[in-house]
Amino acid sequence: MINRHIEKKQGISKLLDSLCLSPAGAIGLVFLLVAPILPFPPLNKPYFHRLLILAGIMGIGSMAFDFSSGYINIVNFGFAAFMGIGSYTSAILERRYGIPVPVTMVCGTVVAALLGVITGILSLRLRGIFAVFLTWFIGLALFGLIINLDWLTQGRQGLPVNTLFKPGTPDLVYYYVLMVIALLTWYLLKRIVRSPLGLAFQAIGQNLEAAKTSGINPALYRIINFTISCAIAGLVGAYYAHYVGIIVPDVLSTQKTVEILVLVYIGGRGSLWGGFALAFPFIYLTEMLRSTLDSLPGVNLLIYGVILIAVMIYYPGGLAQFYKYIADKVKPFLLENRLFTRDRHVPR
Amino acid sequence: MPGRTNTPQIDGCIQIIKETMMQKIIRWFLSPGGITITIFIICLILVTIHKGPYIFINTLITGGMWALMAVGVSLIFGVMNIANFAHGEFFMIGSLVAYFLMQPMMKYLQYHPNSFLIYIGPFLIVISGAVTGALLGVLVERVVFKQLRLRNRYNWLLNCFLVTIGLSIFLQNSHQLLFSANYKGITSYWSGTVKILDVIISIDRTVAFLMALVTMTALFLFMKYSKPGKAIRAVSQDEAGAKMVGVSVDNIQMLTFALSCGLAALAGASLLFMFPSYPTVGVVPLFNSYFIVILVGFGNVAGAIPGGFIIAFFNVLTRTYLGEGWELVLPVLLICLVLIVKPSGLFGAKVKTMLEI
Repeated sequence: MINRHIEKKQGISKLLDSLCLSPAGAIGLVFLLVAPILPFPPLNKPYFHRLLILAGIMGIGSMAFDFSSGYINIVNFGFAAFMGIGSYTSAILERRYGIPVPVTMVCGTVVAALLGVITGILSLRLRGIFAVFLTWFIGLALFGLIINLDWLTQGRQGLPVNTLFKPGTPDLVYYYVLMVIALLTWYLLKRIVRSPLGLAFQAIGQNLEAAKTSGINPALYRIINFTISCAIAGLVGAYYAHYVGIIVPDVLSTQKTVEILVLVYIGGRGSLWGGFALAFPFIYLTEMLRSTLDSLPGVNLLIYGVILIAVMIYYPGGLAQFYKYIADKVKPFLLENRLFTRDRHVPR
Repeated sequence: MPGRTNTPQIDGCIQIIKETMMQKIIRWFLSPGGITITIFIICLILVTIHKGPYIFINTLITGGMWALMAVGVSLIFGVMNIANFAHGEFFMIGSLVAYFLMQPMMKYLQYHPNSFLIYIGPFLIVISGAVTGALLGVLVERVVFKQLRLRNRYNWLLNCFLVTIGLSIFLQNSHQLLFSANYKGITSYWSGTVKILDVIISIDRTVAFLMALVTMTALFLFMKYSKPGKAIRAVSQDEAGAKMVGVSVDNIQMLTFALSCGLAALAGASLLFMFPSYPTVGVVPLFNSYFIVILVGFGNVAGAIPGGFIIAFFNVLTRTYLGEGWELVLPVLLICLVLIVKPSGLFGAKVKTMLEI
């Protein structure tokens, strides 16, 4: 009985595990891939595809955010600024020098990553709330710079850019490319989290002194973590710019960071998937609320705020903890009925 | 000599006690806080000579109110260990209350132009704004932070910061929901101007500055001499110790939260003529109060007052020399520098939470 939960993964579950997906995750992913082509009324409308793409962008952003907030316990409160820097770099290179869009997206990623290295180095001495403030202020400074350097960025008017594909390409193409990016991001982050590197991140996040004592160099790991997180932010930001076709300085504002932060913390910190999974229903529901309750402006965000407070106080684990609770209830039932044969008893 | 390891320290203490008044002043001037304030005053004088006295007046008048906001942030951080992101929202509530009280009063004054309310009414409005803010602070403390305190003390500082973000979203959007996102402002409380040093400034601004001064003096006296004030200081120094000598920490935390929110609402109500009430009006005051708090060190209540003037001066300076729009960028970079070089603030506050986060 003791050995019952020692797993030896075989067949399809082994394949899934090598992709860092659980069966439930794979089902969710398949659903996301199939959803926009199902012929049901809300699913095949163009605006729904648009919402899916926006939610996917927010979701990838929240994965990257959670990678630093959930593991090394540094909340990057200027996260939207890193996304915005990615999009502005890409847009400016594309507009001024006519470099093809995929190359500029890579450039945007690299610039955001470099900025992440710098921020990581600057914030080395700071912990907890002070690191939050430093990243917040760096984000504010970048926001101000983007607004004020209007010979470069056209200030508040916004900077029109070419889209990634030819104009007139259906949103579905963008959506599937985004899903590929999401899958790659997930694979990369999950691989890192499972490796010794991820263990070091967790050690630093949970108890810095203990981590130092066991020979972990926190400076190095914090910089690595920041760089990866900011690089993904830059990539997503650049993708957003070349999807929408125009960027305004507001993408760098604290408001955007807060939106991602809310997703991450309601989704469950330190789970990576929580924010991503939550982004789709959340964006859809808030859009629905906004369009149906037109006479009550702001009610969708109001609910956001209340849920955030309630989750922080009463259920700090968020959606991920809830899922774990449900899964722990359901799994033994499935195992006993032989409906679900992933975990086989392995004779020693 | 193992027994005599402590003597240099003791000698140092005795020297400090023996020091004359002059030496004390010199030591203060050489401390980081003293150097900062001296440089600030010199810069202020130089710029005033270069650009005219309006720099000086503007600095004084906006600085007073920023200082009030920052004192509130500092108080909450010192006593409850909460970095309040929703502080600007209490500023918004103060201005909202003032606006809705000002409307009927203006109507009344149209028919009774000689009423005494024309002089005293705005004061009553500002005070009622502050009281409303304080009451709302009590409510928030009881409903949100007390519950969190009872349940989850782990990673308290960061969790509280996130809760206050939720609170900020909630308050901003309830404003939008209930009162719409329009600008709700007035042109002035008292019409008329006064002339100081060749600068014509409105009575409103002068009175706002005076109100800030009076409030700060009252706050100082309250913290120094009254019993609850002493209890607040005790809790901020050592919570367990305060509990041991019979201070009701729970009530003191509620009082502190109410006091801080009341100060923010007072600033909001008295600056209604500059900042009309709309959902995100609190953002700029929030940024400024955080700049101040980080400049002088977290939890340093007294330092917030010179800090307010320094940040106001810096804003005025940037606007004068670089034009509109840059006043967010340069102060932010300055504060980033402070955070990187001296995270405990220029005035060297004792930050108890710096290392135990």
